[in-house]
This record gives sequence, structure tokens and C-alpha cells, in this order.
Amino acid sequence: MAVITLPFRYLERLTRTDKKTILDKIAFIGSDVERVGEDHADVEFFPDRPDLFSPEGVARAMRGYLGIETGLPSYKVKPSGIQFTVDPALADIRPVLGAAVIRGVSFDDESIQSIMSLQESLHWAVGRGRSKVAIGIHDLDAVRPPFHYIASPRTRKFVPLDYTEEMTMDEILEKHPKGRDYAKIVQDFPLFPLIVDRDDHVLSFPPIINGERTRVTIDTKNILLDTTGTDRRAVGVAVNIICTAMAEAGATIESIGIGGVETPTLAPSVRTVSVSECSRLLGVVLTAATMAELLRKMRFGAETEGADRIMVQVPCYRADIMHDWDLFEDVAIAFGYDKLQDLPPKTYTVGKPHPVQVNAALVREIFCGLGYLEVMPFTLTSEEILYRNMQRLEHPGVLRVMHPISIENTVVRTDLLPLLLEFLNLNRHRELPQRLFTVGDVVDSCLTYQQAAGVSTHPEADFSEAYAVADAVFNEISVDYSAKESADPAFIEGRRADIIAAGKKIGVFGEIHPAVLNAFELEHPVAAFEFDLRAVPGYPGTPGTP
Amino acid sequence: MAELTQNEKRLLATLEKEMSAEAPRLAGLLGATPEAVVQWAQLAQEKGLATADRVVAREFIYTDEGKAYLEKGLPETQLLRFIQPGAVVADLQKHEAFRIGFGQLRKKGLVKVEGSSVAKTPGSSTDADENALKTPSPDDPRTKELIRRGILQESETVRYLIAITPEGLALARKGFDLRADTGTLTRDQIISGEWKKLNLRRYDVTKLPKKTFPGKIHPYQRIIGEMREILLEMGFEELYGGIVQQSYWNFDALFQPQDHPAREMQDTFYLRETLPLPDGYEKVKAMHECGGDTSSTGWGGVWKEEKAEQCVLRTHTTSVSIQHLAMNPNPPVKAFCIGRVYRRETIDPTHLAEFEQLEGVVMDEGVTFGNLLGILREFYHRMGFEGVRFKPSYYPYTEPSLDAEVYIEGIGWIEMGGAGIFREEVTAPLGINYPVLAWGLGVSRIAMLRLGLKDLRYLHRSDVEFLRKTPALRHTRGGI
Repeated sequence: MAVITLPFRYLERLTRTDKKTILDKIAFIGSDVERVGEDHADVEFFPDRPDLFSPEGVARAMRGYLGIETGLPSYKVKPSGIQFTVDPALADIRPVLGAAVIRGVSFDDESIQSIMSLQESLHWAVGRGRSKVAIGIHDLDAVRPPFHYIASPRTRKFVPLDYTEEMTMDEILEKHPKGRDYAKIVQDFPLFPLIVDRDDHVLSFPPIINGERTRVTIDTKNILLDTTGTDRRAVGVAVNIICTAMAEAGATIESIGIGGVETPTLAPSVRTVSVSECSRLLGVVLTAATMAELLRKMRFGAETEGADRIMVQVPCYRADIMHDWDLFEDVAIAFGYDKLQDLPPKTYTVGKPHPVQVNAALVREIFCGLGYLEVMPFTLTSEEILYRNMQRLEHPGVLRVMHPISIENTVVRTDLLPLLLEFLNLNRHRELPQRLFTVGDVVDSCLTYQQAAGVSTHPEADFSEAYAVADAVFNEISVDYSAKESADPAFIEGRRADIIAAGKKIGVFGEIHPAVLNAFELEHPVAAFEFDLRAVPGYPGTPGTP
Repeated sequence: MAELTQNEKRLLATLEKEMSAEAPRLAGLLGATPEAVVQWAQLAQEKGLATADRVVAREFIYTDEGKAYLEKGLPETQLLRFIQPGAVVADLQKHEAFRIGFGQLRKKGLVKVEGSSVAKTPGSSTDADENALKTPSPDDPRTKELIRRGILQESETVRYLIAITPEGLALARKGFDLRADTGTLTRDQIISGEWKKLNLRRYDVTKLPKKTFPGKIHPYQRIIGEMREILLEMGFEELYGGIVQQSYWNFDALFQPQDHPAREMQDTFYLRETLPLPDGYEKVKAMHECGGDTSSTGWGGVWKEEKAEQCVLRTHTTSVSIQHLAMNPNPPVKAFCIGRVYRRETIDPTHLAEFEQLEGVVMDEGVTFGNLLGILREFYHRMGFEGVRFKPSYYPYTEPSLDAEVYIEGIGWIEMGGAGIFREEVTAPLGINYPVLAWGLGVSRIAMLRLGLKDLRYLHRSDVEFLRKTPALRHTRGGI
């Protein structure tokens, strides 16, 4: 999430109203006010609206929402006459270039900070951590056009930002903090992207670092913006957002010729939408005129074309408008969510519980009747708990997560019983007897199904208790079962039984092996029982049931 | 007055004759141990019927050393007697009591040493010390000094003197029913009619017996159950689905771009397993790449099959509801799912890597964004939250999107869930031709507020004591 700092004085000047009016309404355009300080507010905006990642962009939207200035903001672009070439050898490396000249900026430390922060937010939201888009901002007067975006040998040397000595591009990836952070984007290419001017001075090594030569300072008057990447649309959006924000701040924008095309144009795109479709989606009756008015409040250009159509001009910075419904959301925001009629739908429907949950509820009822207390352990656990402590072989269908957060969360549980024993360990100091059960999901390969398990611990817990409980549960859920000597090493030999139903093993019960008790640091005998709920009649997929 | 036990009655009846006696005597008369008698007397004392006075007697015992001194006198006494006028230290050293006695004499100032000559100080006497040795007394500092020197030892004996009070006497004179009382009735006593003659033991109804704990459903499960019931009442069908999902159903079918940050390894638990893509996946691919046949532009770029085939631990239950909708494209569908979802988060008190999510979907001809607000308001009202409001939000697969906030007394407006209408980019490729209203909320958030938990881990690694003490029925006010 992008949290944007909005200095009140600047915001008030741009929005042309007081901060209270702005702060009262800012959440209604889609934001969370994180903190209101003495002279600024920190406001979080959603990642689909990178155009709001600057005070200029927020002011532009708020002027519309508050009715101070509505409709499409238009931006003039005149050609700079500057050319920027793109080396065809970049085609498989980082092919897309966007650029612009921004003249007449007046920076102070705060506004430099502000544009740097916009740049970083765009790197995050649009640029996917610079891999898709990377932005460079240069002092135009420190270099001479034309500019060249080339694929350069990695041994090329220049002085990177914040350094005083020349380094090769390979050295930069190794030693410069930004080089280390972003090396993975380029390190596998034989040649590296590089931007140079007519005198072969280095402006930038995208997407890693600019050259020290073109550093932006409070004395910078004119800016060269370079934006490189792998996705033409995303690169274009980043250029448009920065240029329009700078234009809002008072700068003038000039285009650059790239491969014979003047860019950027900052021109809107056009979408014709249906009024009735919008009304149907939102559940509110709108006329074309009202809807156009609402769209203008959200800074779209909107002209009605008859009773049902509106020609919408979408400003170039609105990267999120992919579909007509994206415009309808803006209509709803302008209309006000609180003014929409909120009635549940009228269609008659009947509630229907899922058989798996019906079974689970039944098993809960039976265990509770037997005096067992329900617990709800985590589903992520470790091989140690599931198998090693239990003296059991690893389940062949156990799933390992590829990047576990810790050694305690490496696998998805295949059994519940080990987790109950872990639970007894956590509650060693609590009064006995303790009788615990759990019902829940386990995973075998990619298949999820439910099991239930119960444990009872106290000085007299034994095989007979486990048997009696298992028998009671199976009788209550009408499972016709038989008990057969088991070989499960988690239990004591001669005090363990497999539960067989319809010729298949569906569970196990008995007295937990003392070595397992030792492994879980338990001091009293444990009578335990676990079974597969798929054996219960009514479980979906069970033969003979729907 | 609380009821007298049988034993108290027997004790008082005995004391009626004895008036007062020591515990061992009474024990002999009552055929019990002195300890038991003291216990009965204390019970009677609480009722003002008897007194049980603890008498502590101190005794002094002579150590072997003490016994010798009792005969010969303390070393200082022996030495003092030995000192003749004009004595020198070397003479005294020959005396067996010199080692201890000389130090004591000097300490007590009974001798004066000048150079090598030793003389008694005028009026020097150890009589007081000898007295303390012969007749030790607990308050005498000299006795204490002798204890410190290991000459005497102090021992304590506790005796109980039990006496009847005038109230006790008055009561005892009225006479007691001294028949033995009966605790648990036996089968024989009940059927034979013997019970009519029995003196049934009375219980002190104010005294709690040893606690017993019922088997219970987990308080968190109870909250889940409450939500489930509300949705069933509201006409929703319950869904159940797998924890392991293909990226295709977890992300791609929901129009989440393949380079979306939420899909990265840092945020999602990936598995090595892959599953083949379902029939018709090409439509989803086309939607991502160019917007398919809709007014959408799509995300652009190339959609990769192998990314969609990879399995993940579901990051939301939407992966379950979207499959249900794809399999049931005819309206109306009203369904919900409550299940565990997984996010690769660093675990701390308010973030878990796995938590329960509730999700609902409504697909029907002509359902609107307004209807979505209506369903949410109804659901939160039934959960007990009176104040409900909505504000714009963003979710990758819904448009328009909103966040629901509820008002909680003493806390304020709290975000409780997100909602929206599934984008056409989601529904169109799956052949769903009607709007789908969808909403979700974190169940654990409500549980945390309701149960007053500071750490979410407590729901899953609970203290049995907490589970035993959390009542099944809790008073909720304003949803909390």
C-alpha cells in the first residue's frame, strides 16, 4: 500500500480550499487517513490509483470531487525538438523507453523529496519493483541531446549517484546498494541497458542507478525524464503520471522524439458507455445528464450522446480504467455509497448447509457429550511433530511449502493426533483429566478431507478408554466397524487397534507409546483415537450417497 | 448457623462433661486422632461453640557441651576461679578451659591484661551466666547467647487446649442426635426402606465442591457457527473446498495479473505440485492478454500456462466460490464458504500465516451494487453491529469495490470486510452471464474483539484453562 505525505499548505494551495474540507472528504474518493500531523497528513491510497500518489494528483481529484473544478484536466505538450534513440539490441533486455522534458520546475528540498517519493511509489505499484518500469529523473542542463538508450558492455565505467569514483556496471551491481538491491533484474543479460548523451556522458544505468552527473538539486530548472521497462502500457502510464503531476505543480511539458514518434501526448483516451448498464449495475436510476455530471466530478470528460450513451474522455493518468465498469465505480463514488439504496435482493432462496460441515457438527456434538473439549490447532506444522515425535514414517502424500516462514511451519498436516499431543504438551501444567478433540481438514497430496481425533490424559487413561470412546462415536454416526491389531508405532504394541470399515482402514485408537509421550514431554498415559470422516455416511463422494 | 457435622456434635457432647481438655485426651475419648479432634474443634470454634487454643511450650535442652558445663561451670567460670593474683597468660594457657574461657572473660571485661600479666577486674563474677545456664528463660539475652554458643538448644511443642463455650454448653445440654450420618445412599437403603431411619448428612450449600468442566465447542468455532447460521438463515448455500488450489483458480480466474505482487513467493505459499488446467482456460488467457470479447483492455503481455498450473495454499476462499459459480452458471446462486486461508506473513500477535475467512457470493439476474450493500448491512446487523457504513476500496477482481466498517462502542469505526461486484473480466471467460456480488471478512478479527484476545495465536494454541473458563453463552452488546 502506498502511504502519501500531503503537506497541508501545498495541498490547500493546489486544491484551492481549506484542509478540513479536504480531510473530511478524502476517504470518500478511496483512501485511508493514517495520521494527521501538525502540518501534513499521511494518507494511504489503493494500488490501482497511482495517479493519487502525489499531492498534485490528490489535489486534482479533490478539486473535482468537491466541485471546485470538474471535467477533464487538459495538459499542453509542445515538442522539445530533442531526439532519443533506442538500440535494437535491447529488444530482449529492456526494450521500452518513454521520455519527456519538464521545464520550469522550481525545487526546494521538500518538493524534491515529494517527486522522489512519487517515483518510488510508482516503482512499487506500476513498476513491480523496477522490473516492469524504472524511472530516472535528470538535470537536463547537465547533458546535451540527442540521447541514446543503448545495450552496453558491462565493463563500461561511470560515476554512479552518491559516489565520486568511476565504477564498471558489473562493479555497481556488486558494490552499490541499489546495484545489490536490483541486480537480479539485469544480471543474466550479456549487455546492460545504458542511457548516454551526444558526448557519451552517462545519464543512467536503468533500472539500477542514475549517473552522478545529472543529479537533481534545488538549482535544477529543467528535467529530462526517462522511463524504461518491459511493458509499453505501464511505461506510458508512469510517464503520464509524473508529467501531469509536474504540470499541476506549474511546470511545462515537452515531448521527445523516440523512433519518429513524439511522446508523451498526455491526450485522453475515449470510451463510450451505456447509462442503463451503469444504472443496472449500481441499482440506482441515472439520467445521462446526471451520470455525465458525476463523471466530470471524477475528472473525466463526459458528453451525452442521446439518452443512453455517454462519450467519456479518460485522462491519460488513469491507468486503472480498463473496462466500462471501472467508470461505473467512479460514478458510484461521485454519487456517494451512502446515498445508494441498500436493499437485499428479492429472489427467494433456501439456505443449505454443506454435508461435510453437517458431519463435522455432529462429531463435535458427540465428542462434547463424551466430555471432550474442542481445540483448533494450526494446519501448518512440521515433520518433527507429525512424524518424528510419533515414531511414524512420513505420510507419502505430505505437502511441503516451498518457502516456509519457519521450521515449525514446513508442511500441511496429514493427521490431527500429533497436533493434539502437542496441545497436551502446551497444557502440561493444567488440571487433569484433560480430554481434547478436534475436527478439521487434513491434506493428502492435493486432496483436502476431514478427520477427527480425540485424546484423553490422566493417570488411569488406557486402551479400554480409547476403545470405549471410539465405539461410542462410531455407534452414534452409524459406522459399522471392526477393530484389528494395529502396527502403528505411535501406540503401545498390544494396546493399539486399526479401525476397519467396509474393508478399509479408516482410523486407529489405543494407548500412546511411552517413547511418543517422552518426545512430547508428557507425563501421564494418553488414550487416543483418530479417524477419517470420509467413512461417515453422507460424506460427499461416499458410495451410496448423492 | 451453619450445620454441625456429626463429629462436631460428638466433640461438643464430650466437652459437655469435660468442659476443657487437651486434644490427646479428647482424642482418646472420641477414638480419633488428636489432629482430627483439633480440626473438629476449629470448625466448632468458627461457629462460636468451642475454643481451640494453641499453646506453644518452649523447652531448653542441654547439648553434650552444655551438660558438661552444668557440672563443671562454664569455661569462663572455670578459668576465673583459676586466676590467682600475679598470674601470667602462660599459666592460664595450661588450663583446659583457656581456649574458650579467656576470650569470654575478655569479652565480658572480667579480666584485665597488661603485657603478659592477667588480673581479675574488681567484683568480677560469672554468676549471672551460670544462672542462665541452670535456669534458662526464653526472654533472657544470656540464654540466647548460650543458644548461640551451642550450649543450649531451644525446642517448641504445640499443644491444643480445647474448651466448650457457654453457647456450646447451652447447645450441648439440649442434646444432639448422635446417630451416625449417611453420605451416599446405597441401593439397599433405598429399596429396603432403611432410609427412613437414617440421618442423612447435610451439606453446606455455600461451599463449592471440586469443579467439573463440560466438554465444549471451541469459542472460536462457536463464532464461526453463529456466522454460518446467519448465512443459512439468509438463504445461502454452504460451500466446502480444498486447501490446495491451482494458481489458476486462486489467481488467474479472478483476473489477478500474473505479475501481481500478491502472487509473489514472499506473500503466497507455493507448492511443488502442479495440476493440469481445466477446459476452456484459453478464455481466461485471452482475457488477461487482451480483454477477450468484453470492453476490457486486459492486462496485456503474455499469460503463461505454467504459472497457472502451479499449486498454492489458497490465499482466499474466493478460489472455492469462483469454481462453484463456474460449475453453476445459472441464476440464482447464493453461496458462502468459511474456511482456512493462507498468507505468507511473518507471524505476530495480530498476523497469522493461516486464518479463517468468510466469503459470500450472490449471482442473479439484475442484482446490483445497492443489493450488495443491503446484504452486508443485514449480515452485520444480525451479527449485532448496529452502525454499518461503506466506503470505496480496491480489490483486483471486483469493480465497484467497497470496504464495510462497523461501529463499536468505545473503539469507533472498524473495518470488517471487503466487497464488490466481480469484474466482467472474471465472470465472462467462465460463462457467468449475470452480475456476481461478493464479499469477504476475516473471522478471526471478530473473534479477537469478542473474546478480548491480544494474540490471535491463542485461538489455535489455546490454554485449556481459557477454553474451560470461556462460557458457551456470552453476553454480546453491539456485536462484541
